[in-house]
Amino acid sequence: MSRDPLVVGHVVGDVLDPFFKSASLRVLYNNRELTNGSELKPSAVVHEPRVEIGGRDMRTLYTLVMVDPDAPSPSNPTKREHLHWLVTDIPETTNSSFGNEIVCYESPRPTAGIHRFVFVLFRQEVRQTIYAPGWRQNFNTRDFAALYNLGLPVAAMYFNCQRENGCGGRRYHPVSGWT
Amino acid sequence: MWSSENAKHNNKKKNKSGHGSSSRIVSSSSARSSPSSASSILSQTPRRRTMEEMWKDITLATLHQETPLAPLLETTHSHPQHHHHHQLQLHRPHPTASPSFRTMILQDFLSGPCSTVSPASAAAAEHITLPPSPPPLPPTALTLKSGLELRYPAGGGGGGGGASGGAGSGGGSLVVNAHSRSSSNSNESRVNGQANKNGHGGSFMPSYFSDAVISPPSPAGLFSFCSKKRMMPEGPVVDGDRRYKRMIKNRESAARSRARKQAYTNELELEVAHLLEENAKLKKQQEELRMAMADQLPNRNALQRSTSAPF
Repeated sequence: MSRDPLVVGHVVGDVLDPFFKSASLRVLYNNRELTNGSELKPSAVVHEPRVEIGGRDMRTLYTLVMVDPDAPSPSNPTKREHLHWLVTDIPETTNSSFGNEIVCYESPRPTAGIHRFVFVLFRQEVRQTIYAPGWRQNFNTRDFAALYNLGLPVAAMYFNCQRENGCGGRRYHPVSGWT
Repeated sequence: MWSSENAKHNNKKKNKSGHGSSSRIVSSSSARSSPSSASSILSQTPRRRTMEEMWKDITLATLHQETPLAPLLETTHSHPQHHHHHQLQLHRPHPTASPSFRTMILQDFLSGPCSTVSPASAAAAEHITLPPSPPPLPPTALTLKSGLELRYPAGGGGGGGGASGGAGSGGGSLVVNAHSRSSSNSNESRVNGQANKNGHGGSFMPSYFSDAVISPPSPAGLFSFCSKKRMMPEGPVVDGDRRYKRMIKNRESAARSRARKQAYTNELELEVAHLLEENAKLKKQQEELRMAMADQLPNRNALQRSTSAPF
């Protein structure tokens, strides 16, 4: 559906392949539910959110990935994607605190431009061991899903975030000129 | 962005051309800045003015004789100028707020031995107000005075020598020399004071002496003090390319911004639709329950008779 916020915001395309939502995902920062595509300040997302997965069957396990596809800046995303959080084996009907935190939560600190921060939920077929990548930057969600046979995502959400006092506008770099 | 800037420059130039300034030069120069000093008052000549354009302006100015602009100066300055073009220069308005003593400089200058220099080139010099003229020019002029005093007697070639020497200090010292030659110390001090006060005093001097050399022998000398801050040493080709890239980046940013806005709007619309639906459903449910409850519960408001006695 071209009106889907994930499509319009180019999350589907830059980060994910088109998928059908089949899980209930809720992200709560400071007890406030996140609206897809809304904007949050860095001060509001300092601590990890509470990610609730709705459903009925506690045997189903999920993997949650949080990435920033606009690192270091949306116009020049050379470090796409920056991995902020990776939690696996989250049972359905519970939340992220019940899973294995493979990569700990890193507070979003965008320096230049307005970044998107994407939460992606994969359904695991079995309880599996997922290894942390060597570094956070240049993470590829598609490759990660292919590597661990996670298939297409079952849910996704994103929010926008920029510097606390307005987006970092053009800055002059000695090498790359004005960016 | 650039197109609007250029349109502004063009409009200003067209306004000034009504005064009878060199419309030829106005039309032939690039859209960035005009050689005519009148419009240079208004137009902030951007730093991107390239060497080629500057030189083109100078050569064009030497070729065309310019008619005077609106006469800002009183006729009190009517000295016995044996060159018609000197008067042309006097009438030309200067970018500074005090044109009167700029002409004084010119006249003193011209009345001196430098008057042998072709006035045509001097006339052309006026058109080229060099905005990036270095303000520290006058101090250097003072210091080099003694040095160039010796060179000056070399005749008209002194001007050329000065030009090849580069740096506006050569030009500045020429002016200073002229004054010392005329042995009017008061003039000299006034010139120096004026040069110190006027940001354009510095531009005045080098532009004059550079045009003392009619043929373009040393553009390097001219340009060394033409472009003080050479932020764009590349030619106009790279400039346009950079502009183009910037434009593309801006477009992408704008597209992202629109997408962001649209995505958020879509999400809100979806949420509204969802919430309305949920609300309607809940209301209906509540209504049904109320009806069901009302049916089940009998009305206990009325008093009822009941037996309580054991018999």
